[in-house]
Amino acid sequence: MTFISVEFYLLLAIVAAVYFIVPLKFRWFILLLGSLAFYVFQGIEMLPLMLLSSFVGWLFGLCMGKVYERDPKQKKKAKLFSGIAIVFLIGMLAFVKSSRYMPESVASKIIVPIGISYYTFSIVSYLIDVYRRKYQAEPNFLKFTLFTAYFPKVLQGPIARYDKLMPQLAEGHKFEYGRFCFGLQLMLWGFFKKLVIADRLSIFTNTVFLDAANMSGSVILVAAIFATLELYCDFSACMDLASGMSQIFGIELEQNFDHPFFSKSAAEFWRRWHITLGAWFKDYVYMPIVTSPRMAKLLQMVKKHFGTRCGKSVMAFVPLSVVWVLTGVWHGTGRAYVVWGIYWGAMIIISQIFAPEIKKLNAFLHINVESESWKIFQMVRTFALFSIGRMITIPNSLSTTALMFRKIFLDFRPWQLVDESLYTFGLDRKNFLLALFLFFILWSVSMLQEKGSLRLRISEYNVVFRWMIYYIAIIAIIVLGIYGPGYDASSFVYIGY
Amino acid sequence: MEEKIYELLSEEFPAIDFKGSDTLVDDGILDSLTITGIIATLTMEFGITIPYEEIIEENFNSIAGLAKMVEKLSNK
Repeated sequence: MTFISVEFYLLLAIVAAVYFIVPLKFRWFILLLGSLAFYVFQGIEMLPLMLLSSFVGWLFGLCMGKVYERDPKQKKKAKLFSGIAIVFLIGMLAFVKSSRYMPESVASKIIVPIGISYYTFSIVSYLIDVYRRKYQAEPNFLKFTLFTAYFPKVLQGPIARYDKLMPQLAEGHKFEYGRFCFGLQLMLWGFFKKLVIADRLSIFTNTVFLDAANMSGSVILVAAIFATLELYCDFSACMDLASGMSQIFGIELEQNFDHPFFSKSAAEFWRRWHITLGAWFKDYVYMPIVTSPRMAKLLQMVKKHFGTRCGKSVMAFVPLSVVWVLTGVWHGTGRAYVVWGIYWGAMIIISQIFAPEIKKLNAFLHINVESESWKIFQMVRTFALFSIGRMITIPNSLSTTALMFRKIFLDFRPWQLVDESLYTFGLDRKNFLLALFLFFILWSVSMLQEKGSLRLRISEYNVVFRWMIYYIAIIAIIVLGIYGPGYDASSFVYIGY
Repeated sequence: MEEKIYELLSEEFPAIDFKGSDTLVDDGILDSLTITGIIATLTMEFGITIPYEEIIEENFNSIAGLAKMVEKLSNK
């Protein structure tokens, strides 16, 4: 059962109806029942493992709370509790993620709870925050389980923070028509991106990448561009659906996307793409390394022997290297993901270390860095960097990635971009041209969203125009959506992480 | 101290007007990579360790906040 299935929306409708009927103080419990039911539909065998993670997080959080209650300065004991729980949770995550390296007979018996990467990171952040005394431990196990398994976010995030989500979950919300409509509108846009754009593009990309050895460089290049937009539409659609259904309940999830392809650098891109994952690594890995006494000693030692510039390079290199290797591993356990992490890490580290030289080079070449044309170039460059990254992870085999790059450079057939060749990879002429038009729609809507809330502006239009937009969107989803067998769309890409 | 830190950071990050705002973090003028650069600069210049607990907006929002933090950590 995914966000694009009839069963899911039946469940959502039932949960929403009961949620708004029961008294305010019991509404969190309905969300919990809905979340557990969602998990049972995913596979009842997954439920005990999710509950175990939740229990460990809750119990050790509570133990830390008790330690601090007795003596607020007992940080060592609290550290021990958080350490045990984190090792257990991350160990469990690493174990299920490494099942691909186990013999088939063992791997087939391992249960991988859906959303484990997301809820494990949420629980770990909770444990560290309780250790840091950012907030009090949660005394109610059922409420903590709701935080762990809240069904709109458990599949693909966002990676929720306890202090932002829990108060909203625990508080009962009254029905608000305006908020309900806003939620539905966001979901509508999510459906459009997933069913009309992402799933259409996936037909082309799957056809090309499954037979990459027999494709020309020009076709692979087009597929890489499509794959980038497909992933963006797929993942951001899931976030829109999660946020939209949460808004119906009166709950605001954290923002996970902020039009990343308008970014002008790799570092900015990762502040706007999968925001909650980047923020997690920043708060729980990157900043602790940056501020550790060992790092301070290392910097002072490097400065003494090699100078300030070298010290700053060390500061850029060490924490970012750790973060990016871990980010790669979080996405997948294959070598390709480690290379992908190193690729992004290297990009950001190089831009940090050589910032003065890059600035001098721009001045030498008389580049006006404030001009619109330069900004557009930077955005195109960011898109290209992301597409290269996609080519590393899509085949999950570095030799195939190398082959694809070789083909782009040595077997590029430009005439295939203008003759009828591109219409033979799953998308016929009509659907291919439609895909190009859909990019224009995606870009236009993104531009409008950059200027402020589009939904707010739509709500200010007259009723006829407003409903015309809704009807066009609904009809477009019904007519142009790609529906697989049983009207169940393709799985979301990030569910696999 | 404030003047010294101002000169140091202005030389290091010429694109940032450190005296033009008292809300450098809140306004998004300082991102996490710039904050890391500031931590590296202050750590090496003053021989201090800036612990995680000190990475708060209040300390990084202005030159005055940074100077106060450095003075506190230097006296430890």
